[in-house]
Amino acid sequence: MSEDRVRSALRQVPLPDEAGAAQRAWRTVDAAFESRERIPRTRKRRGPLVALVAAGAIVVAALTPPGMAVVDRFRDAVGREPSHPALVKLPAPGRLLVLSPAGPWVVHEDGSKRLLGDYEDASWSPRGLFVIATRGRQLVALDSESGEPRWSLSRTDPVRDPRWSGGGLDTRIAYRAGDALHIVAGDGSPDTVVANGVAPIAPAWKPDSHVLAYADAAGRLHVVDADTRRQLWQTSTVKGVRELAFSGNRLAVSTSRRVVVFRRGAPRPFLDLPRGHVLLDTAVLSFGGVLYADYDPRSDSTALFRSDCTIAGTCLLMPDRRMFEGPGRISNLVTSPDGAWITAGWPAADQFLFFESASRRLGRVDVVSNVTAEFSPGGGSGGVFPEIAGWAPPAQ
Amino acid sequence: MAGAGREERAWVRAAQAGSASDLEALFRHHWPGAYRAAYLAVHDAAAAEDIAQEAFLSAIRALDRFDRRRPFGPWLHRIVVNRAIDWTRARALRREVGDEQLSVTPARPESRPNDLNTETMSALASLSPEHRAVVVLRHVLDYSPGEIADLLELPRGTVNSRLRRGLDALQERVTKETS
Repeated sequence: MSEDRVRSALRQVPLPDEAGAAQRAWRTVDAAFESRERIPRTRKRRGPLVALVAAGAIVVAALTPPGMAVVDRFRDAVGREPSHPALVKLPAPGRLLVLSPAGPWVVHEDGSKRLLGDYEDASWSPRGLFVIATRGRQLVALDSESGEPRWSLSRTDPVRDPRWSGGGLDTRIAYRAGDALHIVAGDGSPDTVVANGVAPIAPAWKPDSHVLAYADAAGRLHVVDADTRRQLWQTSTVKGVRELAFSGNRLAVSTSRRVVVFRRGAPRPFLDLPRGHVLLDTAVLSFGGVLYADYDPRSDSTALFRSDCTIAGTCLLMPDRRMFEGPGRISNLVTSPDGAWITAGWPAADQFLFFESASRRLGRVDVVSNVTAEFSPGGGSGGVFPEIAGWAPPAQ
Repeated sequence: MAGAGREERAWVRAAQAGSASDLEALFRHHWPGAYRAAYLAVHDAAAAEDIAQEAFLSAIRALDRFDRRRPFGPWLHRIVVNRAIDWTRARALRREVGDEQLSVTPARPESRPNDLNTETMSALASLSPEHRAVVVLRHVLDYSPGEIADLLELPRGTVNSRLRRGLDALQERVTKETS
């Protein structure tokens, strides 16, 4: 028995639905390619100062405990507590939902955590009693404490981006299956298709309502009543939409460089980063201002800025303040249920950052290190940096 | 081979400039190997499809930063294999904690496998995820032991021993079936 024989045997194993799998995957990849954020390639000889700053950041990241020296540079802006070697507690009441290659984890305030199972996307129900998760072509509602599945449904296309919202007990879940947008009631039935030809972007619910926003493949944004499927308003094409979020009755739309706020279809520019920069993420602060992550590909570093302007349109006419900076990408900004804290994920330093969101300022920052290993049980150094998917109220 | 490398670099360069047709050429060239490697590693068609697809999505997210002087295949295959190992470990972990309700039922193959295929899959399943990964990289994707060591950041000796053990297990099962 030769190696050739084994090789031949391995190559003859029939692959289930090989052509169909390729077709489905290509549709998804093509859609992602169309909507991807373009990062300009770094030009050579950009200037000695930029090169020096970039090199300095790399050296700092390489020669010190990850990024801590960089954190020190910004302690004037935010007071840093000593780094915690593990996620031993949360700084605020509630539970984090963290996505890792092993699946979603629920992390309690005391740092204890539970792996819910082998799922991919996941998000909280409005009160945090359940987690809605996906596994391939399945949508599964899980008890957030026990991880026990309450109901599930299957679609013919891969299921993505489940989002759960609604007022009181009458809740709804929106999700994408292929390029179709579905809505299902919180108890798992009935399931209806709201739109076809949607973009590969998570839909967004207006809080405590059955009003839903989504982007179509052409980049138009639609706001619909999920119960009647009636369109309330739509916009013209917005290029490169990456994220949708409601704030009151306004819809904030993030692209790779801008935030535009829509009210009943009428746009108002909110944020416009310098040319070549990339907007990684935004979060609304407790006083209504906005924290945003501004990535500069030339220096490969991210700065977190605080804007005192609110989504509703009021401004103190103060320039945006740079609150924090570090090498690589810093994003994944998630607000705690009481609005007092905001998280950020920093893969280059393998850290979660927790910023205190005090009135009119960012307070101290708690730093938690070694998060990749913590959410990769049995995994080695080749783990994937986890993602914070949401912060829910404490278990009732 | 050098021609294939030049062609691949041209696809990557054009895709970076925004060409969907060149991205599709890159996808069509690499999808069969990525999907087969993932399937042989996890033995679950839906998971394999997701793993291979996610690897391509990761590639697209990083496309603008990709160094065109480096070959695309090893970069993609490293993501596929590491994700497959993570997936298999996660499934094993769930079994360890006895969460039976959350277990995955492997998808049924659409065509009825012959006995040799069944034995091949069964022999692969008897290996650890790490052993399976090096076997797939060596005998399906044609990487040398040195290249596998670089890809998985393992000592060369570890790769050789995993290959030897994997090959022994496969040969034993396949020979039994065909004798």
